[in-house]
Amino acid sequence: MRIVVLSSSSYSETGCAMAVRMARLGHVPVGALVLSTFDRRTLLRKMGQWGVRGAIRYARTKVNYGNGGGHQRVNNPHLESLLTYKSGVFRNFREVSAFYDFPPAVCANQNDPEAVAQLKKWSPDVLIFTGGNILRKQVLNIPRLGVLNAHLGLLPEVRGMSSVEWSLLNGVPVGVTVHYMDAGIDTGPILLRSEFPEGARCESLADLRNRLIAFGIEKMGEVVVGLDRGTVGPTPQSDLETDRQFFVMHDWLRTKAAEKLANGCVAAVASPRE
Amino acid sequence: MSSAEETRFSPNVRMGDSSAAPKFEERAPATPDRTAKAFAELTGLLGNPQRAFPLMRRLVSDGLRVTFESRHLYSYASTKHATAETLNSIMRWLLNAQRTDGGIAAYYSLLTGYSESYPEVTGYIIPTLYDFAYASGNVDYIAAAERATRWLLSLQMPNGAFPGGLHGSEPEASVFNTGQILQGLVRAHIEIKRAEILDAAIAAGDWLSGLQQADGSWSGPGAYQGVAHSYYSMVAWALAELSECTSNHRYALAAEKNMDWALSHFRDDGWIDGINLRGHPNYLHFIAYVLQGVLECGIILRRDDAVEAVAKSAWMLLRKFETNKYLPGAYETDFKSSHRFTCVTGNAQMSCVWLRLYEMTGDLRYLNAALKINEMLKQSIPHSGGKGIVGGVSGSFPAWGSYQPLRYISWGCKFFADALMLEQRLARSFEMSFPRALPCAS
Repeated sequence: MRIVVLSSSSYSETGCAMAVRMARLGHVPVGALVLSTFDRRTLLRKMGQWGVRGAIRYARTKVNYGNGGGHQRVNNPHLESLLTYKSGVFRNFREVSAFYDFPPAVCANQNDPEAVAQLKKWSPDVLIFTGGNILRKQVLNIPRLGVLNAHLGLLPEVRGMSSVEWSLLNGVPVGVTVHYMDAGIDTGPILLRSEFPEGARCESLADLRNRLIAFGIEKMGEVVVGLDRGTVGPTPQSDLETDRQFFVMHDWLRTKAAEKLANGCVAAVASPRE
Repeated sequence: MSSAEETRFSPNVRMGDSSAAPKFEERAPATPDRTAKAFAELTGLLGNPQRAFPLMRRLVSDGLRVTFESRHLYSYASTKHATAETLNSIMRWLLNAQRTDGGIAAYYSLLTGYSESYPEVTGYIIPTLYDFAYASGNVDYIAAAERATRWLLSLQMPNGAFPGGLHGSEPEASVFNTGQILQGLVRAHIEIKRAEILDAAIAAGDWLSGLQQADGSWSGPGAYQGVAHSYYSMVAWALAELSECTSNHRYALAAEKNMDWALSHFRDDGWIDGINLRGHPNYLHFIAYVLQGVLECGIILRRDDAVEAVAKSAWMLLRKFETNKYLPGAYETDFKSSHRFTCVTGNAQMSCVWLRLYEMTGDLRYLNAALKINEMLKQSIPHSGGKGIVGGVSGSFPAWGSYQPLRYISWGCKFFADALMLEQRLARSFEMSFPRALPCAS
């Protein structure tokens, strides 16, 4: 499989872990397209959205100095097994790509003509999206099979943003859905839908989210292997007429979702079928 | 209408903007001499040069915000001001805006200061005053509501109608303003139970019913620009309330007839036709009026189809708000917009609509959007400055936007106060039902 990983930043732990996971499965990416971390537009957007202090916190997180842990710390402890190697921790795509020998490319927007040209040059079977821009048709049409996304929620029930929190508040089991991306928001055909069995054990929303990210990377691996062997196929989503898109959750509701999680009120996972 | 009246109302003065904000719709001139009106407002500033400082401060502050933090107003960041604190501040603004005659000023202009009392908004501010009095336990607001009611009763015309425009003008019966005042009278009657208030409300209701066209609309004399408007659903809402209060089904029939007429203007894609304001853009304020009127009328008359139609349009606006992080102040057909300013009042009204839809449907996405838009609006309320500024809700953000530029408007305060009180009430009921109402596996 010719895989290209798309990432929101060179310092994205999720993106790096995804690339490592694919490499360990024997599918070393043929490239990685990452957004420039300190791109002026991104920083201005974040500054407008979160204020100057928030933007600085964002920048610190991106360079992995968050929480005062120093550069050897992995922010998401559930990715530690993927991000550690014999001499240390992968801190960015440069280090991952040097280790596994694939070329990273940096862009300001994944839909830009230069980015599109680079992606075409890699001629991928699949693109694995771990973050970045809303992808336009010119990017979605490049890979032979499609663009894969691990959505942190069960589709079609919870599309869009803050899916973990919305799942908790709406009584939908938490889980991950690996699907092909299309022009809609999380509306593409589903390849794998997995409920997360350990939701009730999580201590906080951040803990649950971190675990789900790791769970999603694991499931993405299963899908890629399945696609390679021809054992996994897409199923179109049902009920697309109903608008199930959710948006960024307000802090007050997020607190309620956290309380629900703390009380162990996580919707039951359906019993596994024989 | 004489040009002297136009100048006195000075309803649509905007600096260097060709569009007009028809809040004082019953008096908005067909061919306004905007230069003359702008000159009149500027003269107001020359007469009171002390207003120059707050004016410059607001212009500079909005200018800086737009230049350096263009998205800040639209961000999801929590404000430093609690809902209760902001609500108190807004309600104090309304109390300060009450004139000695008992009427409430339409606006505080950064150029000319307080306007004359405005019957229309005085009417529909009455329910807000009572709601806040009960929520806060402050009886000053009950006294203010009673003063406002007394003043309104003194304005009623022999035929039962109420005049449009600001107080002091030549009285001219107005359908829309009578409807808005009727809301206040119905609430005042519920609170005070005095025969003269009920009689006045019934006379207003009779006048409105008598003037209604066969198709359910109001056009011709008493209607703005002589034509029917879908935002007159606000009048239907008042009639539906009168019907509930008097148990007279005749008013409910009139309300339902107008609601059906308004519903016939809802397109499949959610857009609403028939706002029909010649010479004015479709401000969000008026779109939200249609939605509020039809929704509240639909709830009172138990018409699920009306609630569903409103939900469709409100959802379109919710998606736009969530995607673009703000709602433009005015729209072309199909919710398209090229406007960069935001109509603060329209935002507050949409918050009310979303909160009521959350209450009706239980869909938390409406509550979520309302919490966010309220958060953003709180950021636009001044917490320092003189009387007329602190706690004021401006017509537009930035202040020079084309809807009621350079003014803090009383109906903006009313709708934002309503939204914050609704938020408080629904948050309390959410807390009380939490987590029982939410599916819980354990």
